[in-house]
Amino acid sequence: MPQYLRIFLLGAALATSVAFQARAGGTVLVLNSGAASLSVVDMDTRRELRTIPVLREPHHLALTPDGRDLLVGDTGGNEVLDLDPATFAVRRRVPMADPYQLGFSPDARYLTVTGLARNQVDIYDAATLALVKRFPLKSMPSHLTYSPDGARVFVSLQGTGKLAAIDLREMRVLYEVPVGKAPAGVFWLDGRVLTALMGEDAVAVVNPADGHTERRIVTGRGAHQLFLSPAKRILWVNNRVEGTTVALDATTLAVLRTYKVPGGPDDIAFAPDGKLWITQRFAHSVAVLDPVSGAVESIPVGRSPHGLFVSPNAGPNAPSDARVSTR
Amino acid sequence: MNLTWPFDAAAGWLQEALILPLLYRLDLMQWEEIGYGWTLFAVYGAAQVAATFAVCLPLERWRPVERWPDSKAVTVDILYTLISRVGLLPLLTFVLFYQLQVGLNGWITDHGWVPPTLERALPFLFGRQAATFFLYVLILDFSDYWRHRLSHAFRWWYSLHALHHAQRQMTFWSDDRNHLLDDIIGFAWFMAVALLIGIPPMQFPLLVLLLRLVESLSHANARLHFGWLGERLLISPRFHRAHHGVLAAGQTSCNFGAILPWWDMLLGTADFSRVEVRTGDPTAEEALATGGYAIQQWVGLRRMVRTLRLPAAAQAPLGR
Repeated sequence: MPQYLRIFLLGAALATSVAFQARAGGTVLVLNSGAASLSVVDMDTRRELRTIPVLREPHHLALTPDGRDLLVGDTGGNEVLDLDPATFAVRRRVPMADPYQLGFSPDARYLTVTGLARNQVDIYDAATLALVKRFPLKSMPSHLTYSPDGARVFVSLQGTGKLAAIDLREMRVLYEVPVGKAPAGVFWLDGRVLTALMGEDAVAVVNPADGHTERRIVTGRGAHQLFLSPAKRILWVNNRVEGTTVALDATTLAVLRTYKVPGGPDDIAFAPDGKLWITQRFAHSVAVLDPVSGAVESIPVGRSPHGLFVSPNAGPNAPSDARVSTR
Repeated sequence: MNLTWPFDAAAGWLQEALILPLLYRLDLMQWEEIGYGWTLFAVYGAAQVAATFAVCLPLERWRPVERWPDSKAVTVDILYTLISRVGLLPLLTFVLFYQLQVGLNGWITDHGWVPPTLERALPFLFGRQAATFFLYVLILDFSDYWRHRLSHAFRWWYSLHALHHAQRQMTFWSDDRNHLLDDIIGFAWFMAVALLIGIPPMQFPLLVLLLRLVESLSHANARLHFGWLGERLLISPRFHRAHHGVLAAGQTSCNFGAILPWWDMLLGTADFSRVEVRTGDPTAEEALATGGYAIQQWVGLRRMVRTLRLPAAAQAPLGR
């Protein structure tokens, strides 16, 4: 694709998102994995309003399918905190072994939880949080994504460089296939499972039928995590080693623009004003990236911030896909 | 901005500038998260050494208890400190403890129980970092009192621990002067208690730094007295020096505490009367006092093996 066309497409996509932006405001919840706390940050003033203590090591979160509960996984504490997504008040604590990454299936039947430290993938009943099936998978199962019908869940195995596919109808592992070094973020897009390779500089485009890699998109060293923009036109990729955030055309996967975001960029949440909130693991901050100007503003939070969540109070048009944080 | 920010920022910089590119080059990126835990450990360890140096060195220069013609015997203690606080040991400690905690607590959760933590037992501690930390210190310090006291009670154990006591030129560097096997036993002891009360590995790094400073200070070659009340609230160089005195070496020692003198006071092992005594263990081989690192490790091990070969009656705990 010619360069001018790429730039035009990026501009059009960004303009669209900004045109539909709601007022800024509301709060962002940040999970400080190294400080045993959650930070509540005001979107207007860019200041930490308060912290919520947790037991040990919060990494990721997921909104329940009905949007009424926000589940925060505390791996070291072996529990899941159930928060009010509007006020972040803690409603209850549910014991759960090593809840690292968690995500509800699109059909709202299951909650999949990866236990990175315990080499296990647990499938829970979404309504009751009762354990349905445990899959011991070596090693370091970290990120997950579902097929749109909720029939399969795909998990990256960071330690062994593989992608695993689990059939949720028959509750069995379909395959474990090598995809590259230290696979991290996985994301289902247009019938393919995109897998960020943290030990390399690329995203593997994987055919979900048999797990073979069809092609690779070079994004930058330490490709770590992928997020689709609310308007579904841009796929954002964070590169952990290079310290960059890359905008890809969500249709062609062509690189549109690369932004410098230092401090080990990790998770992204999309704010209603069109800006990206990105956790900077090693800078102990959250970056607010303006995708139009490329300006980055950093807000200090707790040690090693990881998952984050834009409160639905942020505005009437708060993007729905900013609600679930995946590493 | 909180008090830990400069240390966290330094660890973050180190991680981003050095550790991550190195892991990437070595195809070890899957360990980047654990690697960061180690980076934090190393930075706080280096800060411990720096803070100890900044506080204790001027005190030792200002009011030394003893003056020596040369301080060659201290050099090996510096090596012990660096190995113990900045090098490989923190990495192993962190990884091993983390893995053990994950395995044990996950297993407990799987069986429908709740892993033990002080905050779960006492929910009012949630969000009260200082109170939580104080309670953890209280439990761990009491447990360490017993470990230390037992290391003097059993002949085979004291054979290893004698390395710590053999130093005649005791300075703030002497705190980490231990036989590796003695360190491993101490670590296992700590881990058993830490797992039981669910201590978080990296939740209170700055407070741990301050505690280590107290431990180092207690070994300092400085005439430092905290006053009648202060001596009974926190362990001073004077109080701990009595433990290292030549008359207290071996099985008939006193003042076993590390941070708080309360356990010695409660259990009848406190002695506030011995003031600025000469340190060392006259029964220990000269190599344990003045040898190099490897020699000291070897002699300590040999001493333990010889003690274990003694008749059973000679193995019985002596004194207190």
